[in-house]
Amino acid sequence: MNKSVQQQLEKAPNRTLYLSTIGIILAALLVWSFMGVNITGFDQRGTQIASNIFSGLFSPDLGFLFDFTSGGGVPSLLFETIAIAFLGTIFGSFLAIPISFLMSPSIVSRPVAFVTRLVVIFIRTIPSLVYGLMFIRVTGPGPYAGVLTMSLTSIGMISRLYVDVIENLDRSVLEAMTSMGCNTYEKIRYGVLPQLFSSFLSVTIYRYDMNLRDATILGLVGAGGIGAPLIFAMRAYRWSEVGSILIGLVVLILAVEIFSNKLRERLVNG
Amino acid sequence: MQHTIYDKIFKPKTYTLSNGKEVKQRASRVPLVLLIVLFITIVSWEVTNVDLSLLRTRGYQFIVILTDLFPPNWNFLSNIWGPLFDTIQMSLLGSIAGAILAIPFALLSSSNIIRNRVLNGFFKLFLSILRTLPTLISALIATFVFGLGTMAGTVAIFLFTLSYIGKLMYEHIENVDMGAFEAHESMGLTKVEAFRYAIVPDVLPTYLSVSLYAFEGNIRYAAILGYVGAGGVGLLLDERLGWRDYPSVGMVLLTLMVVVFVIERISEYFRMKLT
Amino acid sequence: MIEFKDVNKTYPNGVTALNNVNLTIDQGEFVAIIGLSGAGKSTLIRCINRMHEINEGTLTVNGVNVGKLRGKQVRRFRRKIGMIFQSFNLVTRTSVINNVLISTVPELSWWRKLLGLFPKAQKVDALEALDKVGILDKAYNRVDQLSGGQQQRVALARTIAQHPDIILADEPVASLDPVTAKVVMDDFKKINKETNMSILINIHHVELALEYADRVIGIRQGEVVYDGKSEDVSQDVLDKIYGSIDNVPKMEDQEEADL
Ligand SMILES: Nc1ncnc2c1ncn2[C@@H]1O[C@H](COP(=O)(O)OP(=O)(O)OP(=O)(O)O)[C@@H](O)[C@H]1O
Ligand SMILES: [Mg+2]
Repeated sequence: MNKSVQQQLEKAPNRTLYLSTIGIILAALLVWSFMGVNITGFDQRGTQIASNIFSGLFSPDLGFLFDFTSGGGVPSLLFETIAIAFLGTIFGSFLAIPISFLMSPSIVSRPVAFVTRLVVIFIRTIPSLVYGLMFIRVTGPGPYAGVLTMSLTSIGMISRLYVDVIENLDRSVLEAMTSMGCNTYEKIRYGVLPQLFSSFLSVTIYRYDMNLRDATILGLVGAGGIGAPLIFAMRAYRWSEVGSILIGLVVLILAVEIFSNKLRERLVNG
Repeated sequence: MQHTIYDKIFKPKTYTLSNGKEVKQRASRVPLVLLIVLFITIVSWEVTNVDLSLLRTRGYQFIVILTDLFPPNWNFLSNIWGPLFDTIQMSLLGSIAGAILAIPFALLSSSNIIRNRVLNGFFKLFLSILRTLPTLISALIATFVFGLGTMAGTVAIFLFTLSYIGKLMYEHIENVDMGAFEAHESMGLTKVEAFRYAIVPDVLPTYLSVSLYAFEGNIRYAAILGYVGAGGVGLLLDERLGWRDYPSVGMVLLTLMVVVFVIERISEYFRMKLT
Repeated sequence: MIEFKDVNKTYPNGVTALNNVNLTIDQGEFVAIIGLSGAGKSTLIRCINRMHEINEGTLTVNGVNVGKLRGKQVRRFRRKIGMIFQSFNLVTRTSVINNVLISTVPELSWWRKLLGLFPKAQKVDALEALDKVGILDKAYNRVDQLSGGQQQRVALARTIAQHPDIILADEPVASLDPVTAKVVMDDFKKINKETNMSILINIHHVELALEYADRVIGIRQGEVVYDGKSEDVSQDVLDKIYGSIDNVPKMEDQEEADL
């Protein structure tokens, strides 16, 4: 073999050791998890319930599913869920604007940005259910607690995505505006805001999509939306009702996802 | 300029230049959109009984609870370890199983790998529907099927991971440049070999990185699953919040924060290496 | 009229970018400024609208001593001077016409400024500016859907709508292909002829400079080493500006990016 080829061959990084170490660690973790989770299969009762849920899905309570009038049917429950997510997203996205500016190292000094970041991380780690339970102590059970929870839990992600937008601002237009004799206010209004607007909007719509999913679970703690009726129906073994709720949920979330993707695509492409 | 119904209702404005040329400006959609958003906001406001004065008069309750979380009850730490490990084990097992099963699902959904529209469509729809189910709700259902405990949580995490990774991966696989695949086939490799050497190297880093990311998120989700009886620290949160034992809740949250932080840093480190 | 009298400019880091510059540029002239990278071309034109401060000497523009202006006066002074950049410096996420309208923003009343409502006259004016550079049909497209050449023409229209006396252009065609570069240069020439605006262009492309400009100013290490008609630029002159024959820019290396 040619000498330089030989040398080059030896230079090829030897990652076997590295990869096998990671492999062993992974395998150990896997075994450890297996020991922790007591794997239970379907027992008699479980199988029965699973098949009940399926039959519920395929024979939903149609009266309940299409009850547009009484205010207790699936449509109105979904509507409440939509409303919770909507207001939560609106409040959250407005709250996120000042916070995201305080988080941007290119706007404020590094220590300020760092402290704000810590606060946001803190807010983000508390699970939404915990906030839900805390807000119920303020407003009592109901959708209002859900709105407050959504507003708070949206802030973390929205402001982090806003910061990306702010940090990627194209500053060259500001130079052009300086050369035209524009003052600071004019530069922000016509140089910065148009750049931020559509990106911020796109982030907000994306978050609405996620909030809708989250809003469905808030009902489990009594913070409004479709979660509570679901859990009641399940505890009472009313499977056709469970089926109706699940169908409504899936259709709604899919529809909103498709719609929001279309909307964001249009925002990005103008 | 193509005209939509909107332009028929709100007529475009016409500007005439000094040299006689005419330019049409479509009526702006912004006012209409603003109106719609305003309308939905008002309706939502009514539906959800939002009442800002309540926040002013009773908002302190929230602060009270928040301050009660501190100082956390350190003695409670010994009660946390068990459920905490449950949570980690649940998300680990669920994530790994989900990530592995996501591979066949992603392949079956990718129209450039399995050339069968019906099959692709079916698996795509399946993954989409699975993804719409919030983890907590699948956990709730799982507790009915598998009984209370960590198994239900693991199944919920597994289902979510499967749908999440499955969707991201088929989107990635469908966008892989098939040129290399064809080149390999033309060199006489079989389809499987060509797949191994043309597609896998392209997809593998993304797959690993997405899996790590999913695991990261799953720890957070797993933390609350106990609330519906699916095992883990959520159980403790539920119990302690019920008893208004806020310092202990604070301790659970603190531990959770540390664990999430550590796992995120580790996962971030490996994800950085992958890209 | 732009008048440099014994102008010196030293950057805070000690680099002397302009060294004893004396120039007089009359209204309506089309001037190309050429020189090596780092010779001080950008510095020269940026001093004219006070984007940079000079250290010594006096710089007068239409009878105004530029160095004496303060705060608001600077902004008012800049209204009369348009500037074009190599990288266009447009808001790419909004429509072409909105970009052109930005140049009239400082003249709006406060509430119009806040709401972004432009009077009809200004819109027509902006459209006419777009017509002058031949992209009227793109008025309501988003800028990021346009090609580089079209974007530079939007920038030119923005400057035209400002109705300046002077246009300063810092390597306006450096990021365009040769054909588009000519189209944009044609626009400059047309504006210069029709409106009698003075045009100062920094340019690395010597052929274009000689073809379009009436007057060429050669800069070398902050000093004016040539100032005369473009017809009189000979190989000797180019050698003086660019050092030796090896340094004369060829078709390939006109890409020097500016900050
Ligand atoms: N903001 C600044 N701070 C310090 N030094 C600078 C600054 N801008 C330019 N210089 C220096 O001043 C000198 C002249 O720079 P200038 O940008 O005017 O050159 P130029 O002729 O426009 O070059 P190019 O053709 O590359 O654009 C260079 O040595 C440069 O390093
Ligand atoms: Mg320059």
